[in-house]
Amino acid sequence: MTISASHHLLDQAMLIKQGAEAKVYSLDSLLPQPTIYWPPSGPSKPSSTAQIQQTTAPKCSVILKYRFKKQYRHPALDLSLTRSRLAFEARALARCTRAGVVVPHVMWVDDRNGVIGMERIDGWSVREVLGGGAEGEMTVEEEDEEEIGEMEMERSKDQVDSINADETESEGWTALRSKGVTKEHLMTSIGRAIAKLHGTAIIHGDLTTSNMMVRFTPNGSEPYEIVLIDFGLSSTATLPEHYAVDLYVLERAFASTHPQSEGLYAGVLAAYAEGLGEKKWRPIQTKLKEVRLRGRKRDMTG
Amino acid sequence: MSSRSASAGHCFYSPSCTATIAFGIAYRRQPFPSTGKSKFHSKCLSIGFCCHRTFSYFTVSPTASTMVDSTNKGKRKVSPLPKLNGRLLCLGIEGSANKFGCGVIAHSPAPSAEPEAGEGSSSTSAHARHKNPATIVTVLSNVRHTYITPPGEGFLPSDTARHHREWAIKVISEAVRKAGIRISDLDCIAYTKGPGMGTPLQVGSLVARTLSLLHGIPLIGVNHCVGHIEMGRQITSSHNPVVLYVSGGNTQVIAYSQQRYRIFGETLDIAIGNCLDRFARIIRLRNDPSPGYNIELEARKGRRFIPLPFGTKGMDVTLAGLLTAIEQLTKDKRYRSWDSRASRAQGRGSALPPGEALVVEEDQDNHIANGQEVATEEDVITPQDLCFSLQETTFAMLVEITERAMAHVGAKDVLIVGGVGSNMRLQEMMGIMASERNGRVFATDESFCIDNGIMIAQAGLLAFRMGQTTPIEKATITQRFRTDQVHVSWRA
Repeated sequence: MTISASHHLLDQAMLIKQGAEAKVYSLDSLLPQPTIYWPPSGPSKPSSTAQIQQTTAPKCSVILKYRFKKQYRHPALDLSLTRSRLAFEARALARCTRAGVVVPHVMWVDDRNGVIGMERIDGWSVREVLGGGAEGEMTVEEEDEEEIGEMEMERSKDQVDSINADETESEGWTALRSKGVTKEHLMTSIGRAIAKLHGTAIIHGDLTTSNMMVRFTPNGSEPYEIVLIDFGLSSTATLPEHYAVDLYVLERAFASTHPQSEGLYAGVLAAYAEGLGEKKWRPIQTKLKEVRLRGRKRDMTG
Repeated sequence: MSSRSASAGHCFYSPSCTATIAFGIAYRRQPFPSTGKSKFHSKCLSIGFCCHRTFSYFTVSPTASTMVDSTNKGKRKVSPLPKLNGRLLCLGIEGSANKFGCGVIAHSPAPSAEPEAGEGSSSTSAHARHKNPATIVTVLSNVRHTYITPPGEGFLPSDTARHHREWAIKVISEAVRKAGIRISDLDCIAYTKGPGMGTPLQVGSLVARTLSLLHGIPLIGVNHCVGHIEMGRQITSSHNPVVLYVSGGNTQVIAYSQQRYRIFGETLDIAIGNCLDRFARIIRLRNDPSPGYNIELEARKGRRFIPLPFGTKGMDVTLAGLLTAIEQLTKDKRYRSWDSRASRAQGRGSALPPGEALVVEEDQDNHIANGQEVATEEDVITPQDLCFSLQETTFAMLVEITERAMAHVGAKDVLIVGGVGSNMRLQEMMGIMASERNGRVFATDESFCIDNGIMIAQAGLLAFRMGQTTPIEKATITQRFRTDQVHVSWRA
């Protein structure tokens, strides 16, 4: 059997981490590195080679998410799960892109082998910017006992964010601040991004500060943009309930990961309400209050 | 009523193997090579009336303990448990569901005379010294009696409580006798405070209060889930695992942090054991020795995988829809129930003794084994296929949420506790998943997985050593008692 193109790519890529569902790889480019032959007499040889490499390499940087075959599952079950999840993730990302939500571009989909390739976002996750706990730590340690219940999804899987984070969190924030960005402004941008996402009837399913990236936009009107990543748990929404739960997940994430900046979350909601419009926001707001009171995870004897 | 108590009589057992044991699963894990890969071996499955249980099936090599250290980020904290001055004895009383269990556990300071319990055969000692190396934990006795209902029926709270009332004294006196102690020797009595069914719980607490008052022994109310976790940790020597707690009433993924067992994921509707039990009722599988075990046996004969709804939501699972879907399949015209298959088998001339459904199925399968290909070509769905598909689907869901929790907290070890945890297929699947992550799986056999008194005694004694007791006027029960409500004072 010949090796599939996806596996060939994975062989070249560097494994970054093994999330809950998939292995995450980083690859410089989907295309093989071109070997260019320059005639020995060519005058501008060295400079243009350098130019080509500079222009192509950083732009094509790819994240490969490999849902490898889970041996513990029945093969039929494994195949159908991998296919449907991968297809949905790719579809959600594509729909978001079309609707103008800033998400990574899908560059490679191979549902038979469970590989999805996405544009790599250069920047920092919001969690790094706000200075949450480090990756891989027992995250619960900084969380309050009340918090943890609902927070299970937070930082759970496929944290693609740590990939791009060579810088420390303070650096991310310093860089933003140097451009005149305040935390309140950041919250507003987050709220707007989520509103835009929910405008497409897609819910993220795992909204946490780890799954939001901050990327500088040199040519944009704003100095930076929020990129939502990791749509592995996304689904389409039909009821205000779904949107409200999505928001509630983020609310818990804020409370547990950034206890010091919990007050900032109000800014997210305000911007969200504004972005969605009064008419759509009202039912979600009512539902959100309900969801907060629900407390499935709490003791019901009171 | 008479048939119930008659069938219930089969399930009385104790660690000494002298009493009848309905079934037993023994297995062992290999010591781990330095690569940290986990090997999972199902050694044997004995169905019969006796099984030999030893404590040696967990061989934890020195590599393993260093692994635990490294997962703990090197900052191993000192156990807060105070040093023991002498042997402490605790009696545990469990009666939260359809089992009434009672056990006596001893904690003694390290280098002491080994056969302290006197009766060499009846005392089984667990030398797991992960927590406090200066403590030797000995299981002196572990007795249980199960209330078994006829096929197609579940256990009702009032009937279960009646069973518990009937058996409480017998089980407790047997446990005390096996342990070779007198009740007045006990240092504390632990009972299940919750969660569970109200009336059965009440029986346990009433008995505990009575004994406490009679003999002037302090009481400790124990959370049932914490009991499972503590016993699992004790006998598997797994220091800080992600715990999958799967039983008839609970389905939770738990990890320890800051003196709480925190729930990372759980079922959104019904518990996995409940789902299996109810399915067993639908296809009229016997409840003896347990519906889940009969499903496990039938599932091994399943050939055909039938797709069922896969309900994982983040780290939570939902099972109710799956149960409905599989119930619909039993109304499918391709479905062949036991009755229709049995009558066909009868048509072939095999005489079926009535009332021995399980045996019949075995016989029948020998017949069917020849005609297996024919059967699949026929496009029929057998109860075995449904059992197989149900297990494959639900267990894949459980393994998936456990894996999420592992990735979330960065843990390598998994501990499976609870009645469903004795299922070999679940253990096998978890083992494969853990090895894919370079982790390890710990599980216990049915005597510790399924509700028992000894786990209550273990958790109770740990709390007692930390100075916790429950005053008699507060020795109540609560049907809803979440795992994360307990302050785990005995862990660093």
